[in-house]
Amino acid sequence: MDGINNVIELDNVTKDYGDFKLDGITFSVPEGSVCGFIGQNGAGKTTTIKLILDMIGKDSGEIRVFGESVCKNNAGIRENIGVVFDEMGFHEFMTGRDISIMMKNIYKNWDEKAFFDYLKRFSLPSRKKCGAFSRGMRMKLQIAVALSHNAKLLIMDEPTSGLDPVVRNEMINIFREFVVEEDHTILLSSHITGDLEKLADEVVFIDGGRIILAGNKDELLEKHGILKCKKDDFGKISRSLIISEDYNEYGVQALVNDRYSANQLYPETIIEPAPLEDIMIGYVNAGKG
Amino acid sequence: MKGLVIKDIMCLKKQLTTFAFVIAGVVIVSVMYVLSTRFGNLAKVGVALLDENNNMSEIDVKNLGSMALVLFMFLPIVSVGDMINVFMADGKAGFVKVSASFPVPLKNRLLARFITIFSLLGIGALADILLAGMLCMLTDIMSFGEFFGVIISVSSLMCIYSALVILFCIMLGYGKEQYAQCFSLLSMVAAFIIVRFKDLKSVFIRIFIEEHGFDSDTFWQPLDFFKEKGYVFFFIAVFVMILSYMISLNIAERKRGVI
Repeated sequence: MDGINNVIELDNVTKDYGDFKLDGITFSVPEGSVCGFIGQNGAGKTTTIKLILDMIGKDSGEIRVFGESVCKNNAGIRENIGVVFDEMGFHEFMTGRDISIMMKNIYKNWDEKAFFDYLKRFSLPSRKKCGAFSRGMRMKLQIAVALSHNAKLLIMDEPTSGLDPVVRNEMINIFREFVVEEDHTILLSSHITGDLEKLADEVVFIDGGRIILAGNKDELLEKHGILKCKKDDFGKISRSLIISEDYNEYGVQALVNDRYSANQLYPETIIEPAPLEDIMIGYVNAGKG
Repeated sequence: MKGLVIKDIMCLKKQLTTFAFVIAGVVIVSVMYVLSTRFGNLAKVGVALLDENNNMSEIDVKNLGSMALVLFMFLPIVSVGDMINVFMADGKAGFVKVSASFPVPLKNRLLARFITIFSLLGIGALADILLAGMLCMLTDIMSFGEFFGVIISVSSLMCIYSALVILFCIMLGYGKEQYAQCFSLLSMVAAFIIVRFKDLKSVFIRIFIEEHGFDSDTFWQPLDFFKEKGYVFFFIAVFVMILSYMISLNIAERKRGVI
């Protein structure tokens, strides 16, 4: 990773709520990449994003964004960050015009023309109250805001959840356009692994407040595999290769962490590529013991 | 920060319309009241009160008249109290999450809230000062200085109330705005009782235990205090506002997500 600048760096970050704890979160997001932040509901994705944005205080550890430490006196960092939440957050009486008036007095680099161009492109009426917008329109409005102040980093928390496939695809295309610029980076949290499989360069899996896997998406997909065999044959498979297994009436399906080694060692078994969803489920099940 | 003040004002669009009507209503009613006290039925009532054998002095009648006028003039300033709705609106929309992602430090986000509410109080006070200027040309019930003293006193009390509401809103979190309003009022009443406990006790003993009855001096004392000692309320208000801002900031920095 030498020579690559990390836009986001979390080093051993801890946040304890008593009934839930983010424990020693460490990962980084390289500049120019799309990082998919994957985990089931309640895994700690939103809490991690809130920590990155300094919306909540960490108990320990270090968080750096654009190389600068995130702390209460460093709100200026957020000038270069566009944020999209799972819910809109703007007052329902506000119109696109109202939002633009507010934003141009908040962001130094607010580009009014770009904002209205995005509204037009997303077919969002600028004079209609956003309370009357559908969920898809609300998400598009948030994206228009996030993209209209020349942000270099987009942080999005479940932006595609609850949207129909057509709108989701449209949004993925917008994100792809954003990362065409080399210095543009995206951190996208989702439990819809299909979207991340299309878009992400890096993935970070979180479960129960711990990072269970992080790395380049293609390498992870390349390495992991689904091994299928009979129950009798499964006992011969080395445990070091198996992350989790699932018994069914036809045999055993197991997630393996090195499918090429497994293929060479056990040529009689079937080993298929594992999609991100299966990798996530496999690691979550392994964690449950 | 300016953007957040603009957003707060947008939130208060409905209340601002009401506010404009309140000011217009108060101007009309006050002028009618003053004209009536000079030339109309209220003037006749004043004369009748002096004629009847009911222990009322000319000062009592004058104070009675000014008391009613002062109550009218409270309205533009007191109506600002309702503008605390901006907290509810933010909570309902989930705007806190959005504002926390803005490049605006927490202290400025909090300051924006204070600026909005106190600017509106300032507008209410300014409207009252203009009204006072107009009224003191029409009546001799109160001089401009006395009007000004009352306006400063009432505005300062509303500043104290608003500063406490902001503090309690941040302390209790969203959805508890009504509690914040109750606690603010109770705190102000409690502070008044503690500070003036001796006086209140002696008034209580004189009226209810020694059964001396209610003398007009005791009754008009607060009105005179409002007219003449507005600066006392003003300095208390400045102190409470600074204290409220500092404590609110401290809480908001520890709790986050409340402003």
